[in-house]
Amino acid sequence: MASEPSICVLGIGSVLMGDDGIGPLAVERLRAAWDIPEAVELVDAGTPGPDLFHYLEDWEAVVVVDTVHAEAPPGTVRLYRGEEVRAVPPSPRLSPHDPNLRQAILTTEMAGTAPGEVLLVGVVPARVELGTELTPALQAALPEIEKTVIAELQRLGASASRKAHPGHSGAWWTDSPTSGGSLRDFCRRIL
Amino acid sequence: MGQRIVIDPITRIEGHLRIDVEVDGGRVRDSWSSGQMWRGIEIILQDRDPREAWLFTQRICGVCTTVHAICSVRAVENALGLEIPANAQYIRNLILAAHTLHDHIVHFYHLSALDWVDVTKALEADPKKASELAETLSPWPGNSRRQLEAVKAKIKALVDSGQLGIFTNGYWGHPAMKLPPEVNLLAVAHYLQALEYQRKANQVVAILGSKTPNIQNLAVGGVANAINLDNEATLNMRKLYQIKDLLTEVKTFVEQVYLPDVIAIGSMYPDWLGYGAGVTNYMAVPDLPLDAAATEFDLPGGTLSNGDLSTARSFDTWTDPRFEKGVSESIAHAWYDGDWTRHPWDEETVPHYTDFEDDGKYSWVKAPRFDGVPMQVGPLAQVLVGYATGHAGIKKWLDYAVGQASALAKTPIPLSGLHSTLGRHLARAVRAQVIAEVSLGHWQRLVENIGDGDTEIFNEPVFPKGEQRGFGVHEAPRGTLSHWVVISNGKIANYQCVVPSTWNAGPRDEHGQMGPYEASLVGNPVADPERPLEVVRTVHSFDPCLACAIHTLDPEGREVARVRAL
Repeated sequence: MASEPSICVLGIGSVLMGDDGIGPLAVERLRAAWDIPEAVELVDAGTPGPDLFHYLEDWEAVVVVDTVHAEAPPGTVRLYRGEEVRAVPPSPRLSPHDPNLRQAILTTEMAGTAPGEVLLVGVVPARVELGTELTPALQAALPEIEKTVIAELQRLGASASRKAHPGHSGAWWTDSPTSGGSLRDFCRRIL
Repeated sequence: MGQRIVIDPITRIEGHLRIDVEVDGGRVRDSWSSGQMWRGIEIILQDRDPREAWLFTQRICGVCTTVHAICSVRAVENALGLEIPANAQYIRNLILAAHTLHDHIVHFYHLSALDWVDVTKALEADPKKASELAETLSPWPGNSRRQLEAVKAKIKALVDSGQLGIFTNGYWGHPAMKLPPEVNLLAVAHYLQALEYQRKANQVVAILGSKTPNIQNLAVGGVANAINLDNEATLNMRKLYQIKDLLTEVKTFVEQVYLPDVIAIGSMYPDWLGYGAGVTNYMAVPDLPLDAAATEFDLPGGTLSNGDLSTARSFDTWTDPRFEKGVSESIAHAWYDGDWTRHPWDEETVPHYTDFEDDGKYSWVKAPRFDGVPMQVGPLAQVLVGYATGHAGIKKWLDYAVGQASALAKTPIPLSGLHSTLGRHLARAVRAQVIAEVSLGHWQRLVENIGDGDTEIFNEPVFPKGEQRGFGVHEAPRGTLSHWVVISNGKIANYQCVVPSTWNAGPRDEHGQMGPYEASLVGNPVADPERPLEVVRTVHSFDPCLACAIHTLDPEGREVARVRAL
């Protein structure tokens, strides 16, 4: 039997900026609900800035989950492959990826550590502003993101299977304190 | 009326900073530094458990993760009067030292070297001559003719392909680029090698903290690294030796590559020891404590005024009342409601966006002040305070660096030349060298302490009824960071982060005193207003990291990078 391919599923985004937290949240959901082989790693990388390229290095494949800036309704999930990944405009994050995914891939190429393949599961956000909760459109996109990532893992030869008893999600940031709420709610309260 | 140049954003990494400069006769006459987004972490933290605050604060910025995590637990521990075990102190120190080394290397090579190095000029270099030149500067084995030929071939392939790949964003062929081809080639070679060494520094953080940029081994009261030298799952002898090997390799890189490069490049841009001084009041806090109670430190803290070393006064502890009482923030020119100047514990965060008003409010960044005056923070501040107060490591390496640079420049460089754009780079490299050396001392202390049978890593925090106030400090890669917390009945009632880039990038205060970025730009030359490389150089020398300077929100939605002349 052929050995499992080494794959990294990389969730990117700021969990403090509303819909921008979709990448990390998707990774935590996958971890809670799926049994994946040892060769596949699920990583919540937050907003790694210039370190992004480290998370791409040396894998056979990397599946990035991130928000993207696209002319499509919020919650739209799209899979980008190959050259398309480099062409994707940076997400509308207020602290933009700079260097972005394209720059990170180029850096691994210069360093001689480029991954075999980079896929991007891009999600169009509705609201990127202070807060730890997703908008309903993005909440509704989570099953689609999960399905897309799992389908790619299986295509790449990784044997993912659904857990009989899902674990607790590690997305601690979504536990609200007594008040919680978004910036908008906060401003309504004080203004 | 001069010409107005807007650079937005100026930082290559996360964040959003807008710099406006007015140029008249080839010089900057006036400037404004504006943070374009607001990050109200205090609102997310309101009413949360103080034991989890660090998880949130380390997400403020993807570059400064560990920095905000450790400062947060220090703030809560200070509020509770809670001491942490010695092992926890040393483990935190190793993380902070490794993170700093990573950060300083990345800053020089990957975020600012291209302000000084012209990659395309490296194509004219003779690898043999470059290798011979390198031998006079350093024993580094990575400077062989064959290695430099390979780097030159890589650059040629990029240029021939019609795109410069990772080097696309440079100011190629700009008249302010002055390095000879051989030095450009060496710098590009080291840029590529630095990718590997910054990874090694990161591995130390990963072994102790976690693989991701967000460490997971912290707790209010200590760390969560169980110590058992015979257990594969815990912190054991194998991992400890791995950490030592990595730190030793990074130290060699700093000593043989980073520091010599900054000295050599600096000596070829002597003019830049005369630009960019700005605010010459400096402040740093002590860090890398040598004991559980944090009574002694490897890195010095204190203040000095008007660039005068004889005015230096040290902070001997983290809780120095002079620091605690001296810090305030002004919102006179920041987009918050009112025009108060307050102590962080007494602040409230009520956004009030106006528009960009040159004489009114123009930034989301508040203006921090110490005893009412602006302070420059960062490696230069710590190095100057250390030099003035007789810190042995800093004195040794700063004297060495200035001596070498003087010899290469064939003219004596006075210490006053450090109040400058290049001075900040030189001080950062000196600081990296000092930290690389002392980091191994903390490794030694940790191993000896474990060898003596101490495996304690955590003291349980207890939250009494009523209110407690505390603050934590950390001398982060970009300078003095402080977190201020008010706890009420076990919940967070107020939380403020006064971050290094706020000290440096902040706007004018109620008396019209400029912040350090703003002041440093006045008088800067600008050869080509369409390509204001000189402004970029001075701002980059502070190592801007704006995701954390700014307390957050772009009223217009998204912004694209632009450099334009008005």
